[in-house]
Amino acid sequence: MGNPVKWETELNAALARAKTENKPVLMDFFNPG
Amino acid sequence: MDAVTYPHPDVSAFINGSVVPLRLPFDHKPLAEQFQVKWTPTLVTLDADGKEHHRTVGFLPPEELIPSLLLGKAKVGFDLDNFESAIKTLENILKAHPKTNSAPEAIFLHGVSRYKSTHDAKPLKEAYEKLQTEYADSEWTQRAYPYRLL
Repeated sequence: MGNPVKWETELNAALARAKTENKPVLMDFFNPG
Repeated sequence: MDAVTYPHPDVSAFINGSVVPLRLPFDHKPLAEQFQVKWTPTLVTLDADGKEHHRTVGFLPPEELIPSLLLGKAKVGFDLDNFESAIKTLENILKAHPKTNSAPEAIFLHGVSRYKSTHDAKPLKEAYEKLQTEYADSEWTQRAYPYRLL
């Protein structure tokens, strides 16, 4: 098994990383159950 | 997604390397309302300014999630008029994920991106012909139907 997905939990932090890393954001709305 | 798709090593490697993954509960305030989330999972591809370019609702197995996320990345490029980036990503889908649900839309968008970057109509017709050959029943073949006349 590989490394697990390293999720951000705040949109602003994700967008800041997206700008720095030149990547799109994958935003997953999920049911935590 | 947690049980099957995200733990898959190809999926986690792709996500960790190619996108910034953000996970939010379905009732997050204010974002669930802002993005009109009605069911889970809802996966939304955003650009670095927070603008939406691609969305899926419902479960995706590993072999469909990666090309779907690539399609989202291609749409970011397309929508921002970065056709070189879009074309490169779309060709990746067609080469590495040719028989997936994202492939017909990728063929369509590839033809459109090549047209918009060159103003040569030939790629549009080529896209229709490839769709007609490989995905005759796809809605994307229907959408490309007028290009057969180019």
